[in-house]
Amino acid sequence: MLFESLLAGFQLFLTPLAIGLTFIGILIGLLVGAMPGLGPLMGIILLLPVAIGLPPVAAMGFLIAIFVGGSCGGSISAILLRIPGTPLAAATLFDGYPMAQKGRAADAIGIAISASAIGGLIGGVVLIVASPLLARFASGFAPPEYAMLAVTGLFAIAIISGGSLIKGLVSGCFGLLLATIGTDEFSTGYRFTFGSHHMLNGFHIVAVVVGLFAISEMVHQIVGDDLLKKPDIKVERPGFGSLLTTMRHWVNLLRSSGIGVFFGALPGAGGVISSFSAYAIAKAAAKPDERYGEGAEGGVVATESANNATVGGTLVPTLALGIPGDASSAMLLGALLILGFVPGPILFEQEPQFVGGIFLVYMASNVFLLIAGILATPFFVYVLRIPKFYLIPIILILCSIGTFALQASVFDLMVMFGFGLVGILFRAANYPLAPIVIGIILGPILENNLRRALLISREGYWIFLDRPVSATLVCVNVLLLTGALYFAFRNRKRLFSRQES
Amino acid sequence: MTSRTLTLMVTVFFAIIVAIVFQQIHTSMQEQGIASGGPYDNAAAYPRAVALAIALLVIVQILIEFGTGQRERIVVDPHGFKRAVGLLAVFAIYLGCLGWLGYHLTTTPMVFAIMIICGARQFGKMLLAALIMSFGFAFIFEKFLNVVLPGGVLSLNIPW
Repeated sequence: MLFESLLAGFQLFLTPLAIGLTFIGILIGLLVGAMPGLGPLMGIILLLPVAIGLPPVAAMGFLIAIFVGGSCGGSISAILLRIPGTPLAAATLFDGYPMAQKGRAADAIGIAISASAIGGLIGGVVLIVASPLLARFASGFAPPEYAMLAVTGLFAIAIISGGSLIKGLVSGCFGLLLATIGTDEFSTGYRFTFGSHHMLNGFHIVAVVVGLFAISEMVHQIVGDDLLKKPDIKVERPGFGSLLTTMRHWVNLLRSSGIGVFFGALPGAGGVISSFSAYAIAKAAAKPDERYGEGAEGGVVATESANNATVGGTLVPTLALGIPGDASSAMLLGALLILGFVPGPILFEQEPQFVGGIFLVYMASNVFLLIAGILATPFFVYVLRIPKFYLIPIILILCSIGTFALQASVFDLMVMFGFGLVGILFRAANYPLAPIVIGIILGPILENNLRRALLISREGYWIFLDRPVSATLVCVNVLLLTGALYFAFRNRKRLFSRQES
Repeated sequence: MTSRTLTLMVTVFFAIIVAIVFQQIHTSMQEQGIASGGPYDNAAAYPRAVALAIALLVIVQILIEFGTGQRERIVVDPHGFKRAVGLLAVFAIYLGCLGWLGYHLTTTPMVFAIMIICGARQFGKMLLAALIMSFGFAFIFEKFLNVVLPGGVLSLNIPW
């Protein structure tokens, strides 16, 4: 079945449009990844309106390639400027920047790109093998299991998304509430539409996400005082020889990629945790003469292979269960829904050729990452020299045209602006934004399955404990919440006792 | 500004949201007959539960924040703050005028104004950049992606 799916996927992938857009997606991904403050999520958000008008496999290739490229691009600015383009590349600083200081910037970038591509390919193998198995296992799931899975996804992301647990949960619940706006699927009644025909289908997710993330980020950028600054950096040209240098660290590469895939598959964990964990383990396992923190090649290999392998890992629950691993994969899931595909076991049963196409675009993205990354690095270095006062209006135009293009609606632009203000408030008050997106995506899954479960149940909420998988998920959720509360209170207590002393 | 002020602002925001949820349940949804009954008919139970969860969590957050007796002072650079307000004002005016005046008449001035807010003063270069940005994006979206940008009352659309 796997082989047939991949073979059928070739027919969808082997078109000039799909291949071309995957390549362009990698270039855009590397670009948004390299630019501090943007990153893969922003790249996906800004270009989602462009993608949804394209054929499905080409559209997903474009977006997945942005995700893959963006997860690697941050290393370029981390190595050259000591500013990680994305939080994913924060751990690459430890050894990447010292390598650059020793005059090995081109080697560091080459190793980062090669390790990212290989890590991504290893993640891809796991994706191709594990997601059909998980989908087959999940094909026996009924509404109680799906409802509990949605709760698990939301809890995990709210807990791990940084800052306070309560704030994460509030953000997640806010997303759930936003998802209820519009026509109710069961009763066909209107909820929170205020008599406006614009709101019959709720707010368009792209308008909400562009506002929350992009507009608030631009306001955050303009507050800084480096708007006119043109970074003085030397153009570096890495070579394909870096691939061999990277392969010499094969144990580190395999181990770190494994860590990346594992954390990617856990909802909420994501690339930052995986890259720091891979770095810590690589450092612990290294020989003393490798000198981690002073420009060790192994440090760059560990962090970059882990954060790109995370992309493959995060796509496993996204495709097989319809439960996104992080905000970027939530946007990919949103794109799938807009394109008319419902992720989960049904997708694997009914659209095997499309699933095969997605596997292929993911693998191709990583191959293109190696080629485009090595060849186009000088271009990204030039782009890093562009002052922010040019970038801010470019992104605002993209936000406006992209959001308008969704439904040719000025109302969407107003929604975008309104959520931009909400995003600014949330950022200022340290409320994480990622759980809102996950809440919007998981909201309909949670509500519809919860109501379906209660409809088929004769004992009310006991149905969630009657079924083994659902009961296990209930236990996981309770453990997650109590564990998070315990650690939050313990940290708070420690903080108080330290302040008192 | 202190962290408490921000917490209060967020609390007010969520208080309004929760109030809207209950107001809608007791008016619009009740009129439609979807605010009571079993899981199939009752479309109000789920948003009500989520709104209650938000209210509870926000109260806990306030208790945590105000119970510690500490205020974290948030320092905002006044120039940065002015730039942020300027950006939002220009962008709001742009979005307000987009439907009325159209993309081509509004985008170049918006880009130019944002560059000025950022502190750039090379007007010739800025004007050129603003023109390239606005018409460049229009070309890409209209020519390759078949997006019809707002033409405004003058129906200004370029047949590329």
